[in-house]
Amino acid sequence: MKKLLILILALIPAVASAKIDLSTLPTRDTVQLTIYNSADLTLARESRQLTLKEGINKLQFSWANTLIDPTSLEMIPLNDAGNITIQDLTFPPRVRNLGLWNIESEVTGRVPMEITYLTSGITWRAFYMGTLSKDEETMQLAGYVRVTNNSGEDYENAQTRLVVGKVNIIDQIANLAQRQYPYDKPGAHSEMLFSSYITKSSNMRGMAVAAAPMKRMARSKAKEIKKEGLSEYFLYTIDGTETIENQWSKRLPSFDTKDIPVVNLYKYNEQMYGRSVSRFLSFKNDTKHKLGKEPIPGGTMKVYRDLQENKHLSYTGASSFKYIPVNEKVELNLGPVQNVVVKPTMMNLITKDYRYNNSGNINGWTEVKTMKLEVKNTRDVPVKIEIKRNFNTTYWEIETAQKYEKVDKDTIKFTMTLKPRTEKTFQYELTTYKNENYKIWKQRNQ
Amino acid sequence: MKTTTKTILVIAMLLALTITAQARIKMVALPERADTIIRLDNPNATLIEEERVLTLQAGLNKVDFSWKAVSIDADSIRLTVLDHPSKVKLLNVSYPPGEAALVWEVACDNKDGYAETVRISYLLRNIDRLVTYKAIADKEETKVNLKSYLVLRNFSGEDFDKVEVKLDYGKSFNKGIDHEETKQMLFFGKPEVPITKIWTWDSGKLQWDPENTPGKNIGVPVSYRIKNDKKSKLGEYALWGGKARIFQDDGSNSTIFLGEDRTGLVPVGEKTELYIGDSRDIVVTQRKMNETRTNEIKNNADRLIMYDMDETVVAKIENFKDKPATLTMIQRIPGEWEMKDSNVNMKYEKINANTLKFEITLPAREKDGPAKKELKMKYTRRHIRR
Repeated sequence: MKKLLILILALIPAVASAKIDLSTLPTRDTVQLTIYNSADLTLARESRQLTLKEGINKLQFSWANTLIDPTSLEMIPLNDAGNITIQDLTFPPRVRNLGLWNIESEVTGRVPMEITYLTSGITWRAFYMGTLSKDEETMQLAGYVRVTNNSGEDYENAQTRLVVGKVNIIDQIANLAQRQYPYDKPGAHSEMLFSSYITKSSNMRGMAVAAAPMKRMARSKAKEIKKEGLSEYFLYTIDGTETIENQWSKRLPSFDTKDIPVVNLYKYNEQMYGRSVSRFLSFKNDTKHKLGKEPIPGGTMKVYRDLQENKHLSYTGASSFKYIPVNEKVELNLGPVQNVVVKPTMMNLITKDYRYNNSGNINGWTEVKTMKLEVKNTRDVPVKIEIKRNFNTTYWEIETAQKYEKVDKDTIKFTMTLKPRTEKTFQYELTTYKNENYKIWKQRNQ
Repeated sequence: MKTTTKTILVIAMLLALTITAQARIKMVALPERADTIIRLDNPNATLIEEERVLTLQAGLNKVDFSWKAVSIDADSIRLTVLDHPSKVKLLNVSYPPGEAALVWEVACDNKDGYAETVRISYLLRNIDRLVTYKAIADKEETKVNLKSYLVLRNFSGEDFDKVEVKLDYGKSFNKGIDHEETKQMLFFGKPEVPITKIWTWDSGKLQWDPENTPGKNIGVPVSYRIKNDKKSKLGEYALWGGKARIFQDDGSNSTIFLGEDRTGLVPVGEKTELYIGDSRDIVVTQRKMNETRTNEIKNNADRLIMYDMDETVVAKIENFKDKPATLTMIQRIPGEWEMKDSNVNMKYEKINANTLKFEITLPAREKDGPAKKELKMKYTRRHIRR
């Protein structure tokens, strides 16, 4: 439903509550939406043809039942700029959601004007569908964006742009939109508000300049989304225009890449995931993985497996991930599994080398634990397993025939690949030096 | 398309291309649901795959997919074009306000249009499967007739007329299942699966001395051990967890119910132990015969801070059965300990640092009383702190 109304007033009544004589009602020619997802914020830029007469023109703009921030309203003539002066924007008393522009014109006739404002209520989010090949070595990755319009206003044939990135805002647009007085009453923080406002909207103007020219949408093929970096943001421009009516959502394909090599990794880490093995799927956002052209916005991903029989699928699991810059690794946690098992067992414990302080109490000892690790792959594909063991102390020594890697001061990692339906058992002997016995460790290790 | 109120998933081709929130036109050629698969391979989510033939016109087509009183994860809905994937393209998806529905915009690049088969897949809630087992042991308790049933529970809100139910392995089923319907199907039947009957006495779980609980038997838990391998005529795939009811052939064309237990997932090569009940024909009396502190260490204030403890444990095992039996005895020794081989009179396997497992074979009872064995362990617990 159209709720933004522009009236050009033939008379000059100062108050909107007075009877308005309407001369023209210009419709929107174009509209562009730049939608953020890190904040409830959308920059709307629309153009309308106004018919002006020489002298002072009054223009009324009203936005009842929308979520427009009145402090962000701005109007700029697109032609005849030198001959048209926007004198002021008045928010009349005792009337809500209404502004009056006084425009001084030296020309008579139709003049295209650009009106920009910020609104809340339009959001977008990214989500993904991954389809693993049957051998699980590659994945087809399809990215989508879903735009939802709860702003109260229908936007027809809008050029739609999505901003990936974290924008700083001081006030929630939704709050500004619902204020009784656009800049609040004296005594409130209106000054600060105002200045923060200008900075933000000028930022966005800078971004909008880089926008692709609008064109009618090519109706027989899926739209492409053009992606470009600007400052700390990434701008996704959807090909052509979109109509997103109030309360509707729309899902648009963002990219679809086939045969991305992926690494299946099963992790066992009691501190992080408890006593079950968790499945991870990883790939890199780089050209080697047929990606890397732009950052991948964070979102959730559903992973399926292609059963290679007439395109049938099996559902593997879902995971959410954060924003992935170019060349960064994406790691999806698909959750705990039962078909790969890691079972650590303490097989022996001895303590030794007790030492005593001056009062004769124990202030140091050494513990030797023998640990057995049983690792099982019950799947019909080979799996790579990473087992992390944390020792909770810096003063440790290990003896094992199994290859390991030191992760940090108190953690080691075993990595192995198990063939389909095989198992492996290995042991390690861990010596930890308690309390004052760290001195023994120092002597032995330094 | 059935127009009964029970069919809740509706797909409609929209002829009118203008869709407004006020008047969404839903109608026209309603394509019948064709081949449908319920895929139950993921225990956390059920995937439905259904095929429909869409009568597409050249150019843009809007296809409305709506659902009511069913719980579908909207982000999981996928549309796969099966016949002409290069000519029929999904352009975008719209979600109307306040409705469980979506509208696909599909472009058809063929001047005569197509009758295109598409597959719609989505995750549907409240439809799942359970597995149950029924085992009938022979009189000698050496093998069982094992049957596994698949129980399909559909509380999704949707009726499925004719569907193929697929699991992660094994054969699929062609069945229809209505909303609020539960269907039990035989998944597999294996007539002669070998079992091992085991009696397990665990010193950490059971009363040591029956004399301390007068008037009450201390039952020794009895289980059947089944191995999921080729030798047991199984081993083709993992056995899902579920409830198992165990019966026994009573030798006179009838059975008795022995007991029931719940098994976890049993991967190929693994075993499961189904606890059926307690035996009162094997009696264990375990007593600690010695507990002496040694190697006491005191601090300067003459307070005991650490010591060792010499302990002797004796377990008397009696078999009152008329058959031999193998008792699995679990002994637990906390902390750090030592035991010389000469100080224990039976062989054991160390399961972990604090658990010992003895497999004790017991002959059948004798004429004048039970068959008896005695386990004796003498060990030292070290470095016990005060």
